Amino acid sequence: MDFNLTETQEMLKKVAADFVKAEVPAHQMTQWYKNKQTYQPRLVKKAAELGWLGMMLPEEYGGAGVSTMDCAVVFEELGRGPVPGPLFTSGILSAQMIFEAGTEDQRKTLLPTLCKGESIVVPAITDQAAYWGPQAVETRLSKTPSGYLMSGTKRFVFDAEAATSFLCAALTEEGKVVFALVDRNSRGVSITPHVGFFVSVAEVRFDKVVVSPDQLLGPSGASWATLEAALDKSLPILSAYQVGATQEVFDITCEYTRTRVVFGQPIGRFQRVQDHCVDISIHLDQARWATYETIWRIDSGMPARAAVHEAKAVASDGYYHGTNYAHMVWAGPGTDYSHPMMAHSVLAHTLYQYLGTPGHHKRLMMDALYPRAI
Amino acid sequence: MDFNVSADPPHVVEFRKEVATWMAEQFKGHEHLRWSASWSTREDAEEYKFRRGLAEKLGAKGWLFPIYPKKYGGADLTVDHQMVLETELFKYGLNLSHVFYTLARIVAPVLIRWGSDEQKAEFLPPITRAQICVWQVLTEPHGGSDIANCQTKAIRDGDHYIVNGQKTMVGHHLPPDYLWTLVCTNPQGKRHENLAWLHIPANLPGVEIQHMYMMMGIKNTVFFDNVRVPAKYLIGGENNGWKVASTHMELEHGGDGRIAADPLVERVIEYCRNTHIDGKPIMEDPRVRDLVADMMIELNTLRRFNQLIYWRRFAKKPHPYGGPQQRYYQRMLRLRNGERLQAIMGADALEQNLSVHEVVDFEYAVRTGPGQLHGGGTLDTDRLIFARRLGLGRPTTEKAPETD
Repeated sequence: MDFNLTETQEMLKKVAADFVKAEVPAHQMTQWYKNKQTYQPRLVKKAAELGWLGMMLPEEYGGAGVSTMDCAVVFEELGRGPVPGPLFTSGILSAQMIFEAGTEDQRKTLLPTLCKGESIVVPAITDQAAYWGPQAVETRLSKTPSGYLMSGTKRFVFDAEAATSFLCAALTEEGKVVFALVDRNSRGVSITPHVGFFVSVAEVRFDKVVVSPDQLLGPSGASWATLEAALDKSLPILSAYQVGATQEVFDITCEYTRTRVVFGQPIGRFQRVQDHCVDISIHLDQARWATYETIWRIDSGMPARAAVHEAKAVASDGYYHGTNYAHMVWAGPGTDYSHPMMAHSVLAHTLYQYLGTPGHHKRLMMDALYPRAI
Repeated sequence: MDFNVSADPPHVVEFRKEVATWMAEQFKGHEHLRWSASWSTREDAEEYKFRRGLAEKLGAKGWLFPIYPKKYGGADLTVDHQMVLETELFKYGLNLSHVFYTLARIVAPVLIRWGSDEQKAEFLPPITRAQICVWQVLTEPHGGSDIANCQTKAIRDGDHYIVNGQKTMVGHHLPPDYLWTLVCTNPQGKRHENLAWLHIPANLPGVEIQHMYMMMGIKNTVFFDNVRVPAKYLIGGENNGWKVASTHMELEHGGDGRIAADPLVERVIEYCRNTHIDGKPIMEDPRVRDLVADMMIELNTLRRFNQLIYWRRFAKKPHPYGGPQQRYYQRMLRLRNGERLQAIMGADALEQNLSVHEVVDFEYAVRTGPGQLHGGGTLDTDRLIFARRLGLGRPTTEKAPETD
C-alpha cells in the first residue's frame, strides 16, 4: 500500500501545472468557454510538443510509452484549467482505438501525425444523444461497387470542430457496428455546433459520404468491442481530468469563503456555507480515489472493466455535484459567463453526458460484475 | 500508487503463513462463528465467549497491537506485520479493532502518546492483551457534543482526585473494568485549560452504572459520587485534559483508518440472488441493480477513505481533514443504505431473525442509519471540525491532533 506519486509523476504534474498557469489563465479561459471558442490550435500544438498527445502509445508510434497513472497525473492538472480542446478525444480515445484495432499500416501512418497534433481524429459514436450503447448507432454503411456510402447524424460529437477526421461508428448491412475514418472535408460531411448548456459539442451529419474499404479501421472495420477495449484504457484519463477540474472548483470556492465578507464576516464562518464545501470535498475525494484505484488496477494488469465504469460514474457525478454545491457558495457572481465557475459548470454538464451518464456507467459496472441471465 | 493491502514484503511472507495457520487452529470446531465479529444484536453468549477468548490469545502473542514494544503488550513488529494480521483476521470477519467489546484501539494509542513511562508500563499491557474492557465515558447529560463544557468535577485532595458528576449514553451491555474519561479539575478555570483526563477503575466505591435502553442497544449512565481516584490515574498531566481529548477524538472520529471492507453489499447480493419474484431472482431487476450499484460504490468509497487514512496515519503523512470527512461520509452513507435496503427487500430489512444474515443483520444496518448519526459527537461537529481544518472563512488552517 502506497499512495505517493512517483518522482516522475511529480515532475509530470509540475510541468502540466506550469502549462495551465502560463497558457490557460482564468481570464482567457473564461472567454473561450463563454464564446464557445474551445478549440485553440495553439494549445494542441504546445501539448504535442510536450508529448501529451498519444502519450500512452509506444514510442515507435510517436507516443511516450507512459503508464496510465503517469498520463492521468497530466490530465488531472489539465482539468484544473480546465484546458479545452481535443487532447482526450484525439490524443487518448482515438489513439487507443487505432492502436487496438488498426492495421499496422494504419498505426504507422495515423498515429505519429496524431501525436504531433498534425491530425486530430475525433470519435463520432452514437446517433442518439440519449444513449451511449451500440443500440444507438444508426448511421448506415451501404455497399457500393467500389466501397461504401455512409449516411447518418451523430447528435453529440465532442470536440467535433477540432477534427481533421472522424472515427465514425456505423452499421453495416449485416447489422454489425464498425468504425471508419472519414476526412472532415469529405463531400457530404457537415458540422453544426450546438447551442445550449454544453460546450465543445456539435452535430455531425454524414450525407452519402463515400467511404473506401481502406478507410475502415483494421482489416474489416473492427467492432463495438474495440471501442470498449479502448474505453477501458481511456475513460480513467477522462475521470482524472474531471477530478482535476473538481479540485479547482473546490480550491477556488474555499478561497472565496475566506475573502468574501457579508453580514460582517467572511462567509466561510457560516456553517451552512461550510457544509457546501464539505459536500464538494466528498465528491472530489470520492472521484479521486475511485479513479486512482481503477488506474492502479489497470497498471497492475488486474481486471478493471467494472472499476473503469465505476470511476467514470463517480467522476462525472463528482464534477457535476461539486460544481452545483460550489454555485451555492458563489451565488450570483458564479453565474456570470465571464466567471470561471461558468466554464466549469457548463463543462461539468457536458462531461456528465459525454460517453454516457453516471447512471449508464453504473449499469455497465453491475453487468461487468454480475452478468444478467437474459 | 498501490492499493494492495496484501503485497507482502519479504520479511512478512512467513509471518502470513504463521498467522493463517494459527487462526485456522483457533477456529477448529468453531467454524460456525466465523463471521461473528460485527457489533450486531445477534450475538449470543457462545459467540461472545469465543471472541473474548480469541482476543486474549491474540493479545498474549502481542498481535492485537503488533507494532508496540513487547513491554507494552505489543510484539515489536512492523506495520507490514500489522497489515498481515488485519487481512488474515478479516478472512474470519474480524479485525484488530473489534475482536471484542473494548475501546482499546483508541485508548492504547492515546496512552502511548500521553502516558508517562510508569503509566504505560502499568496500564497498557492489560489493555493491549485484551485482559480488560475499557469504556470511553465522555458525554454528559447537558453537554452533548460540547465535551469541553465538562461538569463532572475532579477536585484534588492530597494524592487523590474526588470525582463527582454524571456521564451518559456510554458503554454497552457488558461491564467495564476501566472508565476512560474527561473531568473538570478547576470549575473557575479557563475553558479547555481546566480539564484533566482520568483512567478510572470501574470498581471504585461511588461508581454506579445504570443501563439505558436505546436505539443501538444498551447504553449506560455512569454516576460518580465522591469517588476517590488515586492521582496515578491522571493521564497527560494537570490541566492538560483537552490535549489528551483531542488525540482521543481524532482517533475516534475517523482518524484511525482501517483496511478491511464492509461485507454488507455481498450479503445484499446473496439475498437478491436467493429471493425470487415472478420466477426470477430480484438480482435481475434493473431497479434493484441500480440500488445495489449505488450501495456498492459508496461502500467502495468508504473503504478507500479508510485505507487512505490508515496509510497516512502509519506513514506519518499529514491528512488534516481525512478524519471528519470519513466520519461524516460514513454516517450519511449508513443512512442512505438503510433506505436502499428497505427499497430492495421490503420489510425483510426490518426483521432481526432472518437466516440469511450470516455477516450482518440487515435490520441492524437499517437501524444503524439514524442510530449512529450522533454517537461521539453529532454530524454537525464533524463538519465544524472539517471547516476548521480547511480554514474556511479563516486565514489559518487548524492542524489535526497528533496520533500515534
